[in-house]
Amino acid sequence: MQTLYLAVVMLALLAVIFGAILGFAAIRFKVDGDPIVDQIDNLLPQTQCGQCGHPGCRPYAEAIASGEAINRCPPGGETTIKALADLLDVEAIPLDAEHGSEAIRTIAYIREDECIGCTKCIQACPVDAILGAAKQMHTVIIDECTGCDLCVEPCPVDCIDMIPVDVTPISWHWQQPEHLIATSMLPHNHGTPDHA
Amino acid sequence: MRKIWNFHGGVHPNENKTQSNQLPILAMPTPKQLVLPLSQHIGKSAKAIVMAGDYVLKGQLIGCAQGFVSANIHAPSSGYVSELGQRTLPHQSALAGACIVIDTDGKDQWIGLTPVSDPASLSKPDLLNLIEAAGIIGMGGAGFPSVVKLQPKSDINTLIINAAECEPYITADDRLMREYADQIIIGIEILQQLIGQPICLIGVEDNKPEAIAALNDAIDQRLDQKTGQKSVQHRNIEVCPIPTKYPSGGEKQLIEILTGQQVPYKGIPADIGIVCHNVGTVKAIFDAIVLGQPLIKRITTVTGKAALNAGNYEVLIGTPVADLLNFAKVDLTQTSRLVMGGPMMGFTIQDTQTPLVKGSNCILAAADLELAPVADHHSCIRCGQCEVACPVDLLPQQLFWFAKAEEFDKAQDHNLSDCIECGACAWVCPSQIPLVQYYRYAKGRVKSINSEAHLAELARQRFETREQRLVDEKLAKEEKRKLRAAAAAASQAAKRTANPTLEDPIAAALARVNKKKQEQLTAAAPKSPEQEYKELKTAAAITRTKLKKTSTALANAKALEHEQTASLQHTVDQLTVKAEAAQAQLKAYEAKLGLDPEKEKTLQITVAKTNAAVRKLEKSLTTAADPQTLEKDIITAKTAHQIATQALAKYQDSATVVPVPVPAPAQES
Ligand code: SF4
Ligand code: SF4
Ligand code: SF4
Ligand code: SF4
Repeated sequence: MQTLYLAVVMLALLAVIFGAILGFAAIRFKVDGDPIVDQIDNLLPQTQCGQCGHPGCRPYAEAIASGEAINRCPPGGETTIKALADLLDVEAIPLDAEHGSEAIRTIAYIREDECIGCTKCIQACPVDAILGAAKQMHTVIIDECTGCDLCVEPCPVDCIDMIPVDVTPISWHWQQPEHLIATSMLPHNHGTPDHA
Repeated sequence: MRKIWNFHGGVHPNENKTQSNQLPILAMPTPKQLVLPLSQHIGKSAKAIVMAGDYVLKGQLIGCAQGFVSANIHAPSSGYVSELGQRTLPHQSALAGACIVIDTDGKDQWIGLTPVSDPASLSKPDLLNLIEAAGIIGMGGAGFPSVVKLQPKSDINTLIINAAECEPYITADDRLMREYADQIIIGIEILQQLIGQPICLIGVEDNKPEAIAALNDAIDQRLDQKTGQKSVQHRNIEVCPIPTKYPSGGEKQLIEILTGQQVPYKGIPADIGIVCHNVGTVKAIFDAIVLGQPLIKRITTVTGKAALNAGNYEVLIGTPVADLLNFAKVDLTQTSRLVMGGPMMGFTIQDTQTPLVKGSNCILAAADLELAPVADHHSCIRCGQCEVACPVDLLPQQLFWFAKAEEFDKAQDHNLSDCIECGACAWVCPSQIPLVQYYRYAKGRVKSINSEAHLAELARQRFETREQRLVDEKLAKEEKRKLRAAAAAASQAAKRTANPTLEDPIAAALARVNKKKQEQLTAAAPKSPEQEYKELKTAAAITRTKLKKTSTALANAKALEHEQTASLQHTVDQLTVKAEAAQAQLKAYEAKLGLDPEKEKTLQITVAKTNAAVRKLEKSLTTAADPQTLEKDIITAKTAHQIATQALAKYQDSATVVPVPVPAPAQES
C-alpha cells in the first residue's frame, strides 16, 4: 500500500516539476509574431503596390499563410512564386493574370516645374520615397522608390511619370548563352591540358 | 634557388608572344582627342572637377576620387575640355558612361611637378598621399585602387610582384621589365618601405628570360652603386622564374606557386601576411614618386594577325582604340574580332572609339580563324576535363548545371564566387560550352538578387515605420479631440451656471464663423498678377487632368459595358465644358497680361532651329570642297540666328510677369 502512495506522490511531484519547467520555457522562449508570416513576407518584393489585392506585402503574406494562392504578386513574378512554392512545399503555379503581368521595373519621376505642391503623392507613397512640403516642389528619391505606381493616380495635375530604370555598367550582367545543340563539332584545342 | 610550388589544374594555350615582344616600346603621338571615363577602377567613380571649355594642362587633376575606394583622374595631355558626356566604355557591356573629353592642343604642356629623388626620405603618410593623389590602380586589369592595398590591417612578411603575364599574346609587362628594370626595383623599394620591409618575390614566367635577366642585372647594379655590397634590403628582392602555365598570374595561384600557402576561403592575401602588386603598378608608383607624374600613360600591346606593326606602345590614358590601331597599322578589313585584353579573359569590342583606360593591357586584332570561332556548342558529356583544369579546384561542370537551371543558391554552395573566370575550363571543354559566360551570368544574377533583397528590406522597414506613424498620428488626433471636447463642455457648463441667459452656443459659433468669412472676403488683399496667373494655370491643369482621368475611366467602362457608362459620360461632358472654360479664362488672362506662351514657344523653336543650322554648316565646313560659298551660307545662317535670339529676348523683356516656366500646353483627350 505504501508503495502505491509513494508512486502516486512521486508521479504527482514529477508532474508538478515538469509542468513548472514547461511553463517557464513557454514564457522564456516565447516566439513573437507568426514566424511563417515573416518568412513569407521576406520573400515578397516589398513593392507595396497592392496589385495582389491587399494593402501591402505583409497583409498578402498573412493571407498566404492562411491559405491564399501564391501567384498574385506581379512585381515578384515567377521568381517569387518559385521561392514561395519552395518555402511552403506546394506546387509553383503561373502568375495569375487577373492581378497584372510581370513588367520591367520602373520608378516614378515628377516633372518638377509642373508640380503644384499639393502633397497628395506623399500621402499615397507607401514607402516614404517622396520628398516635399505643402506648396513646395516635390521630388522622388530614386533609390527608395519601389515603382509601385500608387502616386500617379492621385496627382491632380498629372505630372508624375513612371520611367523604366536604366541599365548601368554596374547593374548590367551577362545573359545566359543560347541553348545547346548537338551537331557540327569543330576541331579545336591548341595545346594540352595540364594533368599535374 | 627558392622552392617553387605548383597549383591544381591550369592549361597550356599557345603563347603567341613573339609577335609583339621583339621591338622596343614605341611612344604613340598624342591623339587629337582623349576620352577619360570617370570610372576606370573598382569602387566609386570619380567626380569631374572641370567643365566644358576649361583649359587643362598635362597632369592636371580633372576627376576627384570619391571616398576610400576610388581613384583620381588626370589630364593626359594639355588642351580644352570639349565635353562632359556619355561615351562607350571599355566594358563587357559596351554601355555608355560618363566621360571627360579633351581636345588636345598638341603642346603637351605639363603642370608643375614635384619629383622626389630620394623616396627613402619621405614618411609613410607622405608616400601614401602621393600614391593616392597620382590615381594609381592595379594595372593588371582588375583595377583596384593601389593605396587601399598598401594599408593592410595585419603584418606583412612577403611582398609579391606579379609579373607572370600568363595570358597568351600579351607582352606589355615583358617589355616593361626589359626596358625599365631599374625603375621597377626602385618602385619595389618604395613599396617595401611602406609596408615594413618585407621580403619581395618577383614571379615571372620562365618564357621571359630577357626580362628575368634584366631584373637580376638591375638588382645587382643597384647594390654596386650604393655601397658596393649587398645591403639587407637588396638581398630581400628575389626574381623567381616560375614554370609557364596559365593562369599562374592569378593572384591566389601566384601566391601558392611562390609560397606554397593558400589564401583562406573568403579571405584576402593580407590575412596570411602577403601583399601582391602588379609589376605595371610598381612602375606607375615609381613615376608618381620619383618623377612626380600622375598615372596618365601605360604600355599596351597591339597584336594579332591583322596588326602589321604588332608591338608594345606607350599610350596616353583615354586614347581611342581607333587611333592606336591606326598607328600600329591594323588592317580592320582583316580583323574578324577586336578583343580588349587577352584571348582567355578579354572581351570583344565593337566601337573602335572606345577609349583605352588605366587597365587596358592589350588590343588583340585577330584575323579569321586566329581565335576559335564562336561555334554552336554541344551537350556536356560529363568528361570531367574541366575539373582537372580548374585552378581553383572548383567543380565547373556542377556550376554549369546550376547556372543553366538557374539554381543560384546551389551554385553559391559550390563556391561560384571563388571562380576567377580564367576560362581554363571552357578552353578544355570538348563540347565547347561557353562555361565562363554561364558563370558570369550566374554571378550577375546573384548580385542583382542580393541587391534587390537589400532594397526590399529597406522598403519593408520604411513601409512598417510609415504604418506605425499613421496609426500613432490617428491615435494622437483622437486623444486631442477628446480632450478638447471635454474642456469645451466644462467651460460651457461653467458659463451657463454663471450666466443662464446665454444664447445657444452653436448658433453663436456659426454667426462668428460667418462674420469672419465676410471680413475675409471684403479684406482679401488684391492678388498679384503672378499669383493670379499661377492659380489660373493650376486650375486649368487640374480640370484638364480630371477630364483625362474620367475619359480613361469612361473608355474602360465602355469596353466592359459597365452600367456606369452613362453617368461617366455625363461627367465627361461637364468636365469638358469646365476645362474649356478654365482654358479660356487662362487665355484671356494671358492676353490681358500681354503673354503668349505659344508665341514664346515658336520663338524658342526658331532660335534652336537657326542655331542647329549654323552648327551643321560649321561641321560640314571641315570636309567641304568649296569652303567659300559655305562660309557665306554660315554668315547668313548666323544672322538669322541673331535675329531670332533678339526677337525672343525682346519678347521675354516685355513679358516679365511670370518667371516660372509655362507647363506644356494641354493635350485634350
Ligand atoms: S503585389 Fe505588390 S503589394 Fe502585393 S505582395 Fe506583390 S509587391 Fe507586395
Ligand atoms: S514614389 Fe510613387 S512609385 Fe515610387 S514608391 Fe512612392 S508611390 Fe510608389
Ligand atoms: S573559369 Fe572558374 S570554374 Fe572555370 S577553370 Fe577558371 S576558375 Fe575554374
Ligand atoms: S569539360 Fe565540358 S563536357 Fe567535359 S565535363 Fe566539363 S563541361 Fe562537361
